Amino acid sequence: MAEIKLTLKKKPEFPLEADSITPDNFSGKSIDDIKALEVYIGNQTAKLEDYFEVKGDTGEADDLKIKIDGDLSNVKRIGQEMTTGEIEIDGDVGMHLGNQMKGGKITVNGNADDWAGAMLEGGEIIIKGDTGHYTGAAYRGFWKGMQDGVIRVEGKIGNEAMLWARNSKGANKWPTLYCGEAGSFLGIHNHGGTIVVEGNVDRCCGADQAWGTIVVKGSISTKLPSYKKVGEVNGVELPNGDKIKGKFVEYSGDHSVRKETKGRLFIAA
Amino acid sequence: MATRKIKTVYDVVCPFCGTLCDDLEVDVEIATDKVVEVRNACQIGTAKYYSSNPSPHRYEKPMIRKDGKLTEASWDEAIEKAADILTAAKRPLLYGFSSTECEAQGKGVELAEILGSILDNTASVCHGPTLLAEQDVGVPTSTLGEYKNRADLVIFWGSNPVHAHPRHLGRYSEFIRGYFRKDGRNDRYVVVVDPRNTHTAQIADMWINVNPNEDYELMNAIRAVLRGIDLDDENVAGVPKDKIYELVDLVKKCNYGVIFFGMGLTQTLSHHRNIDTAVCMTRELNDHTKFLITPMRGHYNVSGANTVFTWNTGYAYSIDFSRGYPRYNPGEFSSVPLLMNDEVDASLIVASDPASNFPQDSVRNMFKHPLIAIEPHETPTSAFADVVLPAAIAGIECDGTAYRMDHVPLRLRKVKDAPGECLTDKEILERLIKKVKEKLGEK
Ligand code: SF4
Repeated sequence: MAEIKLTLKKKPEFPLEADSITPDNFSGKSIDDIKALEVYIGNQTAKLEDYFEVKGDTGEADDLKIKIDGDLSNVKRIGQEMTTGEIEIDGDVGMHLGNQMKGGKITVNGNADDWAGAMLEGGEIIIKGDTGHYTGAAYRGFWKGMQDGVIRVEGKIGNEAMLWARNSKGANKWPTLYCGEAGSFLGIHNHGGTIVVEGNVDRCCGADQAWGTIVVKGSISTKLPSYKKVGEVNGVELPNGDKIKGKFVEYSGDHSVRKETKGRLFIAA
Repeated sequence: MATRKIKTVYDVVCPFCGTLCDDLEVDVEIATDKVVEVRNACQIGTAKYYSSNPSPHRYEKPMIRKDGKLTEASWDEAIEKAADILTAAKRPLLYGFSSTECEAQGKGVELAEILGSILDNTASVCHGPTLLAEQDVGVPTSTLGEYKNRADLVIFWGSNPVHAHPRHLGRYSEFIRGYFRKDGRNDRYVVVVDPRNTHTAQIADMWINVNPNEDYELMNAIRAVLRGIDLDDENVAGVPKDKIYELVDLVKKCNYGVIFFGMGLTQTLSHHRNIDTAVCMTRELNDHTKFLITPMRGHYNVSGANTVFTWNTGYAYSIDFSRGYPRYNPGEFSSVPLLMNDEVDASLIVASDPASNFPQDSVRNMFKHPLIAIEPHETPTSAFADVVLPAAIAGIECDGTAYRMDHVPLRLRKVKDAPGECLTDKEILERLIKKVKEKLGEK
């Protein structure tokens, strides 16, 4: 696999928008062409080389890995709409990481800011640290958020993750989020997303869920009154085929959306 | 024949709160051009008219900070300085706009586009969450006149109009006689949901004492009960189950209900999700009866700011022009987080006082960088400005259009001239646009 290495030269004074950093955009370009790609800072336009050292071998997108080093907490939109290839980030990264990504893989050895994997349509995002709010969420006003792909966050995620997630049984699309812990309004307006939390979750988990599955291996701070206890189960099978072991209390909901619902919330017994 | 000493202007629209009362009568002493009497307005509306009279707090000439002190300057100097600041900035912020008229707001959009700046209005710290929720789930709403004539159940949720919108109750929602509500107050059942026993709650028929920050849970329970679900919990958000059933029964049986909500919903823990679920609840209530919902907007023309920004850019607030086209993302492009992250390197504040309302750290960051204020009075914001551009008070010293909280546009009236060298917000922004274009070499 060809590898291109980007190293941040200096922390940008304003957030840097680097949606040009994707394997698709780098595909088939020479190192000089890549250096000349545009990035945006404040109301100015700059070149990638103004902020990054660029080294390595070029190649086609499918066979390309971009490694990025440095404190990227002020760099936004890396991996936006990428369809293939790989990005690996050593350090923290700013907002909108891999938003609307359709394929490929992003690994972050650090934390990601808000909107990581927003409206994901495919591929995989792995974050070793925490993420901000709206992980895998729909952008403002959209009724279809994350539609496919997997997000794995080892640490804690912020509020309103997987907002308006939408599966498609016919197209075999199962948007899925695994995380360590979660903030409030996890899976709000869920329409078929799958969420598995290793630890605890804050209030209003599964609010307005129409259908979908949320599994919490820890506890939730307060369960919404619109969830009703169904019974106890031993193990949960996720729609994507994964099996989660353990004893859980099964709740149906959100009943504020429908009297009869296929929405399920499992909380460790 | 005796000469008239006082002129009276009738049918004046009050430029203070979102109720936008349109029945004021203002007396102005002709010789001095002073407001001497205001009839029909509430106390706060009246006070705004008196504030236009000459006082040590009123700016009458442009000012520029020289050697750390604000000193009087000519309009040309002040505009030149302001344009220098704005064109040198990489991440300028244009904020405010809710207490001025629509044409000035339109000029603000134009300037923001030319500068590639952030454009935001006060909805960002008041009813922005309402707008977010409306984008997610829509809003079943109506004009205030409809409520006056039809509503027999009025719910004030997290709003306290007795203090914030004093004439709302008398003109539209509680005491007024309507076409189908001939007996006024006696024909309406009034419910207040609030953690505090507010003055509005004290004159209501029912007060629901919800726990602070748990409105979401309460509405969630109401919605489940409306769906025919029996609640597992005996008590939700501090409200006993029986009380919830009683309330649900009440709302289902009314002929025409309305929820007026305020910042008790938009600015408590669940923010836009409170409004999201309130709207869903209202929508679901229409399976049983007629029910609508309306935000109690604060600034008299914040609805106008949202409307003008939307028809120009597609978005109501928190707009970023840095990439040449409008983008929208509250939380990313709204004033407070931007200032908190110290992302703004120059600010232009129009008809607003963020220093009094924003969190301290964000204000500290705003003051670190050049600041321009278009403002009639000295405020905590303008006191720290580098350039002060003195403005006529819209709705008192110049006319224009404003949108009421229910999006009804009304024509503001001019009752007197502005003092000194004050110009209208629109004129000031036009001069700024011209100068900025000149500096950027645009036509
Ligand atoms: S209620 Fe509002 S609009 Fe009416 S007079 Fe009072 S401040 Fe003015």
